[in-house]
Amino acid sequence: MKKIVVSLLLSLSLLGLGNAWAVDSLNISLAPEQANPPSPQMGDWLKFHSVIENSGSQAAHGVVAWISLVQVDPGHEQPVDLEDWSAHKAVTQAILQPGQQVKVEWPMRLIQAGAYRVVISAVDRETGHVMTSPFVDFQVRRKPVVDSGRILPVALGVPMLVLGMMAWRRYRRRTGV
Amino acid sequence: MLVEISKLKLNLGAHAVLRDVNLTLQKGQIYGLLGPNGAGKSTTISVVTGLRAPTSGSVRVLGLDPAADALHLHSRIGVLAEQAGFYDWMSAGDYLLWVARLYQKNLDKPGIARLMGRVGLDGQSPAPIDTYSRGMRQRLGLARALINQPELLILDEPTNGLDPRGRREIHDVLLDLSVNQGVGILLCTHLLDDVDRLCTRIGIIAQGRTLLEGSIADLLSAQRAAVRYRLRVEAGEAAQQLPAEITLLARAGDWWHVEIASHIEPASAWRKLLYSGIRIDEIHREGGGLEELYLAVTEAKEAA
Amino acid sequence: MNPITLIARKEAGELLMSGRGLAWLLALSVIMSVLSLLLVSNTELSLLDNAQVVYMVMGTVTALGALLAVVLGSDAVAGERERGSLMPLLLAPVTPSQIVFGKMGGQVAGWVVMYLLSLPYVWAVGSSGQNLTQAVAYLALFGTPVVLGFGFLGIALSARLRSVRSALLTSLITLMLLASPLLLGPSLRQSAIGKLFDAVNPFSAAVNSFDSVVIDSQPLAMQINRLAISLVWLVLTAVFAIRSVRKMEI
Repeated sequence: MKKIVVSLLLSLSLLGLGNAWAVDSLNISLAPEQANPPSPQMGDWLKFHSVIENSGSQAAHGVVAWISLVQVDPGHEQPVDLEDWSAHKAVTQAILQPGQQVKVEWPMRLIQAGAYRVVISAVDRETGHVMTSPFVDFQVRRKPVVDSGRILPVALGVPMLVLGMMAWRRYRRRTGV
Repeated sequence: MLVEISKLKLNLGAHAVLRDVNLTLQKGQIYGLLGPNGAGKSTTISVVTGLRAPTSGSVRVLGLDPAADALHLHSRIGVLAEQAGFYDWMSAGDYLLWVARLYQKNLDKPGIARLMGRVGLDGQSPAPIDTYSRGMRQRLGLARALINQPELLILDEPTNGLDPRGRREIHDVLLDLSVNQGVGILLCTHLLDDVDRLCTRIGIIAQGRTLLEGSIADLLSAQRAAVRYRLRVEAGEAAQQLPAEITLLARAGDWWHVEIASHIEPASAWRKLLYSGIRIDEIHREGGGLEELYLAVTEAKEAA
Repeated sequence: MNPITLIARKEAGELLMSGRGLAWLLALSVIMSVLSLLLVSNTELSLLDNAQVVYMVMGTVTALGALLAVVLGSDAVAGERERGSLMPLLLAPVTPSQIVFGKMGGQVAGWVVMYLLSLPYVWAVGSSGQNLTQAVAYLALFGTPVVLGFGFLGIALSARLRSVRSALLTSLITLMLLASPLLLGPSLRQSAIGKLFDAVNPFSAAVNSFDSVVIDSQPLAMQINRLAISLVWLVLTAVFAIRSVRKMEI
């Protein structure tokens, strides 16, 4: 009985070692494109490049890589829903042979002003462990969507104009001009 | 002849609305078109004005076929419909100016003011129509109907909503148009008093048929209809002294209830009464005449 | 003066001089103001860029213009009938065709007023973007046939149904149906039925053109099919209105 338990523990520890080896075999790099605007503002497009490489000696099956964006403004730290930012949120690779690389482009439209950190994560089917790339920070400048200095006079002025016409009509009716 | 309708029939779908309508109206005449509600008066007017084409029969208005030449006809007639609607946000003067332009008439503001004065709306030109009373709207409708100096005027209940003085003023306008300007007037009304005062000729229609048509005097005479009056006479006069034209129906103190045959001019009857020595202090008409005739004709039709 | 011009001037006057017409214009301008102020207050958190804001305003102006058009159109004949002012018009030396063309002229005047009222809003929200001129031009180019089409539909229904309430209800249901792409958003329009509906819907044609020109900066050449749909809609509703008023019974 003792022999069985020892051999079972040994098998489990070997399995664990194998998994650790598989996780460590995925390397992910991340870099912004050279052509990205140096000081981007809302509405601009940014592009990031990442390379996912199987540096191990065994094939990785069912690899999924995805992009994550977090806002890192002090006091406003929060994950960002990429719904409006990018349609290119994840890639999958059925099998990644030892030494094989996958290059991925991550385009992104800047929707909101602030400080952001982008990171690529990947996982394969067997291990379930998440590997992440180094992160890249960027700052988005605010661009006024609408000019509030113009809207306020218009939003108040046009109804006032119509009210003025109503008052003039009332005056005309009263005086019979 | 301004209006000549003969054997007019009109079907709306499967329903015969007009079955046999006949009507003749001459220049300078005021014609009373009488009949119960739903008799076909308004439908007849719609045919006369060219808004509906007859199914059969002959209709000539101002010598024109109304259905074929409606545009030309409309420029020569004036109509006051029963429901006189306006653009209430306009002033009455602006509205009449607009209508005048629609009729290609070069009326200026003084001309509009004169027209309004003629129907009793002096000084009311700048007032918005939505401040007008019902009677004022009726007068404005008449002013609108007169804007093109029509040869034929078609009026549907023109004195609706008017007080006795207003009615009298409108009567005077219509009589002036008819007598002095030769305008023919087709008058649709329920008020037999209006007909009695204004019309020389009437037509009674019921269930889409003309039951009776002709001059009032002839019709009353033919129907042997009599007119009833209530007289206040000097007390003590004897009934036996009455002239033959006057029949005493009842007597209550100074008040006599009498009847005069419709073909007899009432004034001549009163004159004979005075000549016979009976002094008359008051005369009130009580009924009979046109009313009796109208009721007799329409009731007979209903019974049939 | 030509009867058509006279009737059209009366219709325009009713919008600009009557309490009811001015109340409508006030309501529409307040809606536009509220929308604009919402866009201002949304600046901090906005997920929209300027072109999208202009596109939204253009769609809203078109929808409000169409709303005003169906209200005016539904009242054009049935309202006059109910108020007793139709009969004097029919008894004037004016043909039914002149009446309907005059009413159509009133619709044009109503849209011109609505368009002019909306220009300050388009200018205010679009001033920081690059497609303001296109927005103003395309609002006129596509808004005019779409809005007038709804007005003509209102006139036709008003003549046929003889009741303002019935004509207004039917026109509004049609407007809501055709404007549903604006309400539903693009995701629900991806099905085969949605695509087919979009392909023949004049309201979609206008909204998609606004999107194409103002957001994606695409040229007029790419809008020809959509413009054709809008013009077909205008012609069909105009013919419907003319026939309905000519055949109208008193």
